[in-house]
Amino acid sequence: MSSRGTKQKKGNVTNEQEEEDQPLQAVLIADSFNRRFFPISKDQPRALLPLANVAMIDYTLEFLTSTGVQETFVFCCWMSNKIKDHLLNSKWCRPTSPNVVHIITSDLYRSLGDVLRDVDAKTLVRNDFILVYGDVVSNIDVSQALQEHRRKVDKNISVMTMVFKESSPGHKSRCEEDDVIVAMDSKSKRVLHYQKTQGLKKLQFPMNIFQHGSDEFEIRHDLLDCHISICSPQVAELFTDNFDYQTRNDFVRGILVNEEILGNQIHLYVTNEGYGARVSNLQMYDSVSSDLVRRWVYPLTPEANFTDQRGQGCAHSRHNVYRGAGVSLGHGSQMEENVLIGRDTSIGANCHISNSIIGNYCTIGDNVVLDRAYIWNNVHISNKVKIHQSVVCDGVLVKEAVLLNKQCVLAYNVVIGPNMSLPEGTVVSMHHPEEEEDDDDDEFLSDDQVVGNSKDKTKQKGPVCVCVCLVFQLEVLGTLQRGEEENIGCDNLVLEINSLKYAYNITLKEVMQILTKVVLEYPFQQQGTKLSSSQYTVLLLPLLKKWSPVFKNYIKRAQDHLDCLSAVEELFLEQETHQTAMVKVLMNMYQLEILEEDAILKWFSAGATTDKSRQLRKNQGLQKFIQWLKEAEDESSEEGE
Amino acid sequence: ENYHISWQDSRNRSETTLNNMPGADKETDLSERIEAFLADLKRGGSGTGPLRGSGEMARETTALLRRITAQARWSSAGDLMEIIRNEGRRMTAAQPSETTVGNMVRRVLKIIREEYARSRGSSEETDQQESLHKLLTSGGLSEENFRQHFASLKANVIEAINELLTELEGTTDNIAMQALEHIHSNEVIMTIGRSRTVEAFLKDAARKRKFHVIVAECAPFCQGHEMATSLSKAGIETTVIADAAIFAVMSRVNKVIIGTQTVLANGGLRAVNGTHTLALAAKHHSTPLIVCAPMFKLSPQFPNEEEIFHKFVSPHEVLPFTEGEILSKVNVHCPVFDYVPPELITLFISNIGGNAPSYIYRLMSELYHPEDHEL
Repeated sequence: MSSRGTKQKKGNVTNEQEEEDQPLQAVLIADSFNRRFFPISKDQPRALLPLANVAMIDYTLEFLTSTGVQETFVFCCWMSNKIKDHLLNSKWCRPTSPNVVHIITSDLYRSLGDVLRDVDAKTLVRNDFILVYGDVVSNIDVSQALQEHRRKVDKNISVMTMVFKESSPGHKSRCEEDDVIVAMDSKSKRVLHYQKTQGLKKLQFPMNIFQHGSDEFEIRHDLLDCHISICSPQVAELFTDNFDYQTRNDFVRGILVNEEILGNQIHLYVTNEGYGARVSNLQMYDSVSSDLVRRWVYPLTPEANFTDQRGQGCAHSRHNVYRGAGVSLGHGSQMEENVLIGRDTSIGANCHISNSIIGNYCTIGDNVVLDRAYIWNNVHISNKVKIHQSVVCDGVLVKEAVLLNKQCVLAYNVVIGPNMSLPEGTVVSMHHPEEEEDDDDDEFLSDDQVVGNSKDKTKQKGPVCVCVCLVFQLEVLGTLQRGEEENIGCDNLVLEINSLKYAYNITLKEVMQILTKVVLEYPFQQQGTKLSSSQYTVLLLPLLKKWSPVFKNYIKRAQDHLDCLSAVEELFLEQETHQTAMVKVLMNMYQLEILEEDAILKWFSAGATTDKSRQLRKNQGLQKFIQWLKEAEDESSEEGE
Repeated sequence: ENYHISWQDSRNRSETTLNNMPGADKETDLSERIEAFLADLKRGGSGTGPLRGSGEMARETTALLRRITAQARWSSAGDLMEIIRNEGRRMTAAQPSETTVGNMVRRVLKIIREEYARSRGSSEETDQQESLHKLLTSGGLSEENFRQHFASLKANVIEAINELLTELEGTTDNIAMQALEHIHSNEVIMTIGRSRTVEAFLKDAARKRKFHVIVAECAPFCQGHEMATSLSKAGIETTVIADAAIFAVMSRVNKVIIGTQTVLANGGLRAVNGTHTLALAAKHHSTPLIVCAPMFKLSPQFPNEEEIFHKFVSPHEVLPFTEGEILSKVNVHCPVFDYVPPELITLFISNIGGNAPSYIYRLMSELYHPEDHEL
C-alpha cells in the first residue's frame, strides 16, 4: 500500500525517487531461539503453532503485506522443512502475491545476531527494512513510523526505530519478561536509556541521560514492546562488527554505550492506534488469543479468513461466538461468549463453553466444561471433562471425567486416562524429559531474561557447564598461586580473573563463588587436607587480608553478599571437620568489610534449606557470633543517629 | 438426543480461483488485480467505516468487471455470467458489509442478460420476472441457458458497462441538482455523521438559499466533525451536537436529511450507528426524514440475515487499549451500522428522482434480475 504510493510521489531529486522505488523489505525470523514452548515445539516449530486456528507466521506475514512490504526474507532454523512446506502452500507464495517471500534455512543460527550477520554477509537488504519475529501479531500501519525513520536517517543518525505500543502497566497483553523502562527525549523520540525491569521495584538511572542537551525527556513504563523494528542497513553491519551482540537487547545497550564514539542513535515510535504483541510464552498465547477473539486486531479477525484457505471461514455471531462450517452443537449446550469453534467439530449435550478456542475436526462429549481452554485439531474429549485455562494439542484423547486445572499443557498425541485430576501447571508430553539434553550442544541465546525461573537454563547448561567451571577454577587457583609467589598487586589479580571470566564465559556470580571457594580451599591445596582447624585458620586469615580488595571488587550488591555466604556455607558443609573454623572466617570477613552484617544476619535467618545446613547453624560458635553481631548492630544503630 | 444446528457454508463455494483458465500474461495480470482488490476489501474499513466512499468502491468494482469481461476467456453469455458470478461471490465473501460490490455484480449480470436478449432479437419485455400469468400461459418454463454465441456480445456488454460507469460518476451531481426543490430559506436541517452525497446536496442548495445545519457528531468515530468543517467552509451556518442531544434539539428542526450505506430490499436502511435514534426522534416530532442515496446502494438483501448484517470493528474506539486491566474483565463491542425500519422514512432522493419507501421493491426489479438476488 504505502510503497505503491511512494512510487507515485513527485520525486524532486532523482536519488530520492530511486530510493523510493526500491521495494520495502522485511526480515522475518521464524525461530525464537528459546524453549518457552517446549515440549510442544518439539513436534511443530513455534511459527506454525495455531493461534485462533491460524498459524502464527501467517499473522506476521499478513501484517507485513498490509503495511506495504514487497519482499520478505524468512529465516528458519528449527524444523525448517515444515515451515517451508507451509509457506509454499500458503497464499504468500502464489504468483499473484504482492509480497515476494524468500525462505532461507540454516541449522547454524543460534540467535538473532547470527541471522543478521548472515543478512549482512549475503547483502540481502539494500535499504531500510523491517525486522520482526515469526510470532508477532499486529495490525499497526508502520508506514508513518517508516517515514519518520527515513527523515532521521537522512541526517545520518538514526540506526533503528523500535515500535512500541502505549499500554498501562497492568495490562494482560504485556509480557512480564519484556517489561522495559525507557528514558527518551520527548521531541526527537530518541532513546537515552533502556532497561528491563525484571520484576525489580527500584531502578537506577545513569546521570548522563540528564545531560544530553535536550531540555525535555520522559521516563516511561507504559510501553508494550511489539518486537517490530525498522532498521537501517547499518544494523546488519554493526552486528557483524560486534560478534558478541546476540539479541536486540545487546544491540540497544551497545549502541547506547558507544554513542559518543559512533554517533548512532536509536529512536522510538510509540503508537496509540493499532495492536501489536508477540507470543513469547504461554501467558502471552492466552492474552493474544483472547484479544484476537475479541476483535482487537481488526481486520485480522477469525471470520475474515485472511489466509484464503478453503473452508476456513466462520460465521461471527453475538457475543463474539464464531462457528466454522459443519459445526454441530448438542442439546442444551451453551457457547457463552468469546468462543471460536473450527470446522466439522461436534459438541455434545449440556456443555458449557466460554472464552475458548477449539480447532477443526474435534469431538467433544456431553457435560463438558471448557473455560479459557485452547484445543487444537483432531482432539477427542469424552464426557464429563472439565478444562480450565489449558492448552490441548493435536490428536489428544481425553477420557472420561478428567479435570485439568489451570495452566496445564497436554502435548501432541497424549492420552489421559479416565477419572484423573491434573494439578495446576502440569505438562504432559510423549517425549521423555531426558531426551532434551542430548539435542543441545550449544547454548541458545534469546532475548528473554528469565525472571526467577532458572530451571531451563541450568538444564541446558548441564553437561557443558561443569567442565568449564572446573577449568576456570583451576585457572583461578593458578592465578592466586602466582599472585602469592610473585607478590602481584590485587588490581592485576582482578584483571587476570576478569580476562579468565571472558575467556570461559562465566557469569559474575559464579566468578565470585568460585573465587570464594578457591581462596577458602587454598590452605588445603598448599598443605593438604590434614590440617587442624586452628592451623587452617592461621594460614587462611592473612590470605583473606591480602586478597580482600579482590573480594571487594566482586562483592558489591546485596545479592553478591548472599551468594558469597552461600558459597562459604557450601564449602564448610563439605569440610565438616573444619566447621569450627567457619566462625573465624566469617568474623574476619566481616571485619575486613568484605561482608556486611545485614547480609550475614539475613543469610543466617533465612538460608537453611537442608538438614545439614540447619545443623551448621546450630554450631555454638556461629550462634555466639550472630549474637555478637546483633548486639553490635543495635549499638551502632543507636549511636548512628 | 442431539439437535444439529449446522451452519450452511455457502461462502466456501466461492473459494475457487481462476484455475480453470489456461494461463497467459493477461490472465495473471487479471488475477493479480482481482487478488489485490480482494485483499483491499478484506483490509479496508479498519475502524471508521470503509476507507473509500461507496461511490469509489462501486466504480472500482465496475471497472474490474469490465476488465474481466474484456480479458477473460469465454465463448457464450452463460460462461461469462458464471465467471462473474464466481468472482462476485468471492468479493462479497471478502467483505460482506460492503454491499455496493454485490450490487454492481448484479447490475452487470442484468446487463449481460439484456444484451443477450437483444442479440437474440427477442424483445426485452418478455424475459422479465416470472409472474403467475406467465407461468400459466407460457406452457412450461422457458429454458434460457444463454449458450448461444454472438460475436458482438462482448462489445455490446462492454459498451453497456461503460454507460453504467458514466451513470455512476454522475450520481452525486444528479442528486445535488434536486436540492433546491427540497430545501427552503431559513430552514433548520439536521444530519448525522458524514455523507458525501448529503454534503454535495447541502452545498448545492447553499448557493441560492440561506439555511442552518445541525450535525450530530456520531460517536465513536465522530465523522460529524469533518462534515461540519467542510460545510462551514462552504459558508453554511453549522452547529455540531452530541448524539445525546438529538432528541432535545429535534423540536426546532424542519427536516432531517441523511445519507446511508445501504438501502435494503424492504425500504429500510443500513446506516451509520446513531441513525436509528435520529429516525425515532424525527418520527416522534413528525419531522420528515429524507434519505439521499444513489441507486447503486440499493441491495436485494433483507435485514433478517443476522450474521452478515453487522460489522464489528476493533473495540479500541469505545474503550481504548490504554485502559489496562479492566479490559480483561469486560466485553467491549463496537458496531458500525444501525438498522432503520422503512416506517420511519419519508422520502428517498436518488439519481432518478424522489421515491417513497414503499416503492423500493419496484425499483429493485428494474435494476436486478430475480435470479441474481442470490449470487
